[in-house]
Amino acid sequence: MADEFEITDEMRAQFGVDGTPWTYEVTTTSVRMYARGIGSDDPIHYDVDFAKSQGFRSIVAPLGYIGTPVFLPGKNDPTFGFPRREGGPRLNIPFKGLLDGGTETEYLDVICAGDVLEETSHLADLKLRDGPRGKMLFVTNEAVYTDKATGKVVAKQKLTSIHM
Amino acid sequence: MTQVYFEDVAEGAEIAQLKKNCSTQQLVLWAAGSGDFYQIHYDKDFAKGTGLPGLIVHGALKNAFLGQLLHDWIGERGTLRKFGCAYRGMDYPAQDILCRGVVKKKYSDGGKHFVELDVWTENPEGKKTSPGTALVTLPSKS
Amino acid sequence: MTTAESVISDEMRAAIGVEHAAGVMEIENTNCRMFARSVGHTDAIFYDEAAAKARGYRGIVAPPGFLGTPIFKPGSGAGAPGETGGRGFAVPYKRILNGGTDYEYFPDAPDGDVICAGDTITARTKIAGFEEASGSLGPMLITRRETTYTNQHGKVVAKMYGTLIQY
Repeated sequence: MADEFEITDEMRAQFGVDGTPWTYEVTTTSVRMYARGIGSDDPIHYDVDFAKSQGFRSIVAPLGYIGTPVFLPGKNDPTFGFPRREGGPRLNIPFKGLLDGGTETEYLDVICAGDVLEETSHLADLKLRDGPRGKMLFVTNEAVYTDKATGKVVAKQKLTSIHM
Repeated sequence: MTQVYFEDVAEGAEIAQLKKNCSTQQLVLWAAGSGDFYQIHYDKDFAKGTGLPGLIVHGALKNAFLGQLLHDWIGERGTLRKFGCAYRGMDYPAQDILCRGVVKKKYSDGGKHFVELDVWTENPEGKKTSPGTALVTLPSKS
Repeated sequence: MTTAESVISDEMRAAIGVEHAAGVMEIENTNCRMFARSVGHTDAIFYDEAAAKARGYRGIVAPPGFLGTPIFKPGSGAGAPGETGGRGFAVPYKRILNGGTDYEYFPDAPDGDVICAGDTITARTKIAGFEEASGSLGPMLITRRETTYTNQHGKVVAKMYGTLIQY
């Protein structure tokens, strides 16, 4: 039951342990769709020739978009699309409600259409708090994105989800 | 997946059915997959405002379901040449959509083995909501 | 029974067979997977590049009915070609229905090919003809449209036949 949920040593032992890497792809169509989603009309996200004239390899991924995880039926979450990779955290969370608790992204390079990224991620933190409707669990994951072609880390991201 | 062969097919025979039942989530997935963001497929108030009883399943999604029905039936060695349907009736989320096909004609021409089919989606009342036709080739055992 | 006056104008007749400006459609790993996922396909050739190549394809295969994503330009209102376009004529009907869509593929080499991720497809649409009918919805105009899809190697890989009903 959710009321009895406690963070265990077994859960804490998963902090910092990377799961199997997963491939994220940045394509012209996915960049444009994300740009439409955020309501941008900046041609740098839509027009390849324009982006190249500005010195970029191709259209630029809008801030916040670090590619789409390769989706394989049965291997990705059917709702959220994220990979259910081997070695990933196993928490068995009993809460029904789920909210986005925030995302922090550190960019080390510009991400453009055509980039293929390798993402590794791990559980970084768990916090349990009392909210107005009972217990709230804050789950923080950290991900590192490396450009497969250059081997360079292009972004780091910290994502928090709230289960309640 | 077992391979169906030209010799296995008889005119008038039905192919394996494919049953679908769209959640509203699947309609949103289809909006993303197809690029069709018309609100009658995910915004109930909008749909009712246009006079519809509620959300309706995209016609093009039912067409794509027929594509899956045929792709899965012809197996690795078959080819899909032609398929499609008319949009004759509405289907709704959380109701079964049965995808069916019946072999209309089979013939060989120029070393290829063609099968013509009638295909359709059917609602829970048995009404054909998207009737169409298809042309495929199948491998031969000989 | 009264015979309704034809709504097919000379302007419309002159438009039959005239190709619209070509549209470019992109086929990529991500949009093939998204389409396949939204239909519920289970065949790995629509998702997994290695599986597709093992079956002899150049890359991830475009699922049936998927002919790529039109290059989106903000403000242009660009949609998929052929489905519901061609409303430019003054027709005395307010309502519009997508009557149906048929796809034809040309998978045989050397003239045709199978559509795979990495392809850039040029789509050209023309009006194939108009028909008038009277049904339960009253008098209606049926517009038949045909879109031809040519890949980057100049091969015709698909045709789409669309039926638009105005009433």
